[in-house]
Amino acid sequence: MFYTRRDFLKTALGTSALLSFAPAVPSFLIRPVMAATSRRDDRDTVLVVIQLSGGNDGLNTVVPHGDDEYARNRPTLRLPSKELHKIDSLIGLHPRMEAFMRLYKDGHLSIVQGVGYPNSDRSHEGAMRIWHTADPDRPSRQTGWLGRAADSIWDPNTTNAPAAFVGSIAQPFGLNAEKVVVPSIRALGDLVAHQMPGHSSGRSEAEHVAKLPRANQDSPLVRFLQRCTLDAYADSQRVEAVAKTAANTGEYPPFGLAGTLRTVAQLIRADIGIRIFFTELGGSGIGGFDNHANQLGNHCALLHQLSESIAAFVHDLKRNELLNRVLLMTFSEFGRTVKENGRRGTNHGAAAPIFLAGGKLKTGLVGSHPSLNDLDNGGLKFHTDFRRVYATALDQWLGFDSRVVLGGEFKQLDILNV
Amino acid sequence: MAVKIQEPHGQRQSGHAGLAATEKLTEPGWAWAAYRPDAQRPWNLAQAGHLYRRAAFGASWEQLQQALADGPQQTIDKLLRPQADTAAFNRALDEYETAAASVGALRAWWLRRIIQTPHPLLEKMTLFWHSHFGTSGAEVNNAQLMRQHVQLLRSQALNSFRRLLEGISRDPAVLIWLGADTNRKAAPNDNLARPLMEAFTLGPGHYTEKDVREAARAFTGWYVLRGRLRYIPREHDGNVKHILGQKGKFTADDVVRIVLEQPATARTLVRKLYRWLICETEEPDEKLTAPLVESFAEDYDVLKLVERMLRSNVFFSEAAYRRRVKCPVEFAVGIVRGLEGVVSTTQLGQDLADLGQNLYHPPTVKGWAGGRHWINSATLVGRHNLTVALLRGSGPYGDKLNPWAIAKKHGCSTPKSAARLLLDLFLQDNLDPDVRDAVLKTSQTSGDASSDTEEAVRRCAHTVVTLSEFHLA
Repeated sequence: MFYTRRDFLKTALGTSALLSFAPAVPSFLIRPVMAATSRRDDRDTVLVVIQLSGGNDGLNTVVPHGDDEYARNRPTLRLPSKELHKIDSLIGLHPRMEAFMRLYKDGHLSIVQGVGYPNSDRSHEGAMRIWHTADPDRPSRQTGWLGRAADSIWDPNTTNAPAAFVGSIAQPFGLNAEKVVVPSIRALGDLVAHQMPGHSSGRSEAEHVAKLPRANQDSPLVRFLQRCTLDAYADSQRVEAVAKTAANTGEYPPFGLAGTLRTVAQLIRADIGIRIFFTELGGSGIGGFDNHANQLGNHCALLHQLSESIAAFVHDLKRNELLNRVLLMTFSEFGRTVKENGRRGTNHGAAAPIFLAGGKLKTGLVGSHPSLNDLDNGGLKFHTDFRRVYATALDQWLGFDSRVVLGGEFKQLDILNV
Repeated sequence: MAVKIQEPHGQRQSGHAGLAATEKLTEPGWAWAAYRPDAQRPWNLAQAGHLYRRAAFGASWEQLQQALADGPQQTIDKLLRPQADTAAFNRALDEYETAAASVGALRAWWLRRIIQTPHPLLEKMTLFWHSHFGTSGAEVNNAQLMRQHVQLLRSQALNSFRRLLEGISRDPAVLIWLGADTNRKAAPNDNLARPLMEAFTLGPGHYTEKDVREAARAFTGWYVLRGRLRYIPREHDGNVKHILGQKGKFTADDVVRIVLEQPATARTLVRKLYRWLICETEEPDEKLTAPLVESFAEDYDVLKLVERMLRSNVFFSEAAYRRRVKCPVEFAVGIVRGLEGVVSTTQLGQDLADLGQNLYHPPTVKGWAGGRHWINSATLVGRHNLTVALLRGSGPYGDKLNPWAIAKKHGCSTPKSAARLLLDLFLQDNLDPDVRDAVLKTSQTSGDASSDTEEAVRRCAHTVVTLSEFHLA
């Protein structure tokens, strides 16, 4: 049985008892309870963003098998039509994405087609920077869109980390915030308070002492630190409890991304207030999706990992009825050229599809497949600006003001049941 | 699991004994006069600890005892102008840094310098400027340019803000980081002019968009080519510009001169330094800071300004005490210096980055926001775990820190006396009685073996440095 953060605080602190004796209770203990109860209508939705590093070949991911131009442009890389998981008479998913097809049929997967931005940047660094800053016009912008989102919901009494990177590479720039410290989590244990050697049993001395009232301290910072410390130890216990029930989590395939998403699922279950998770497939450096030569096998393996890992994550969350709180979104810095390059690979392109997964999706297919004839310098032309997807996730899903984060109004998509 | 609420024993006692009441602080004459201890505001361990947290990175037991004997003003003399051969120490470290091949290695050397320096105030102020000019190696990708940048900060850290700003405006690392390494006459970019006015000097509201654009024209002609600063005269726009009410054929140096002539510049710096050295919970009155702003604007002498702040009544008042959140570097180095050890700073550099303070990589040109932003439940668990790693006596930090050995060195023979010493060392015992008693209890051992004692004192030290109060400077 899993409680929400609110339930936990109520159970742990005994809301009714606490409030009825309110005058005798130190104010730092009342505050989180009040905040938690008044949060009833507040959202506790979670956004999980997966970066596909290197530039994913969208054309061999969501394949326009019904368009003759596809086969013509892809003499060696074309995927056999009969092996595709057909969505309609025009498009189908890559043969190794059977798990995605199941999600699609269950209504847990959406494909937003033709996503990009004007004057597409074809360098990994430049294009990734644009997806991270969400500001193509200001390449020197120093904050990422998710970092700004984290800053935008901060207030001086915040005690939880609003966003986190889960993974082992250096924290991607998309999370770079001006003010908030966004943690990088390599393993669940990073969020569990360790014990000193020789510690007998139960909670540590540090946790015990943290609860003692501080009547003599005048600095408002002492009260703030004490409240944060109590929350930190409570969160640590919740993560520890979730880690101990690891046997109960769903089945995950033995892929790196699956392990990362398992950690994300456990942190969502622990309910410690993280609203944004950022993870990554493809590795540091240029990234595994960058296949200029002999693309077929490598791409196939990556897409298989992606679809199996996300499917396992969705099923895991569904067991605890947590899926309705979660929206997952993939992105890559660019798609690839329609025409293969003579080395059984593809070069840097432009528009590509974004995948969304979750329990509150409205439609499977969003937008039409871009034309294979009318191209942007060899790549697909975009029809949906990526910031419209960002704005939809921020406003409709997380309940943040997307205009503050994105610095402008972007027409939102009607893709979520919220 | 229920959080038990424990009632405080007895009456609320007066807070930090010997601190000035806040009402007199609104009077600038008194506030900035040098603190002279008297019966109401005695010089004590709490004041000495406070001074060492702000003007250094914490103190060792001997330093605290010496400070008690010397009194406040003489202790401040030593912090400002140490008798030790700081120049020789810094020359040796400079050589190590010159040989460093990566920014990661530079980060480790800087932490080593911070831990071992005989002049901690110099490093404290270098860190202040590092955040003020928020220049990150992430874009610069050149260890030697980053080394030169921090060298520049250190060379003027307690010196002339004018010379510092002149150096910054032509520092290759800064120009690359800001994307201001190409300043063509035909396409002036405001990547240097804007942060110069917004973050480094005037602050928002004290300049117009036109001032930024005109200053950008004055910066044309300056390039960074293969890591070197170059001036290409034909790319400089030699025409008349209008900047902040002045008119002329201005160059880059003129822009620096003009922003330094604006009173808003001294105001920005004084208020930022107030936040760094005195208090970050409340903005000071304009009236309070006015005399410092006026004086700083005359000569931009940083040492003089820092000295005035540290010596002042306001510095030693309730309004300053525990009114800052320690940044991760202060938090960790305070433990290391207190326990008189030297730990692996390669490991420490990484661990501090995880807590949000990656030296040589401030997040934006505005530096680290700091204050309450340092703290959330993830970073607090991170701080808890870092102190476990530092104090456990094994693992990546080894047994470089040994609180029981330090306690014995300073005359303690029992775990309980060691616990008292640790409370005095790290918090000058300025705690609620219940908290103090609970900490003292943690020093009790189950057995008599000396290994049990060492372990118990390690646990006690850990309890002390994870107290809410220890996160505050």
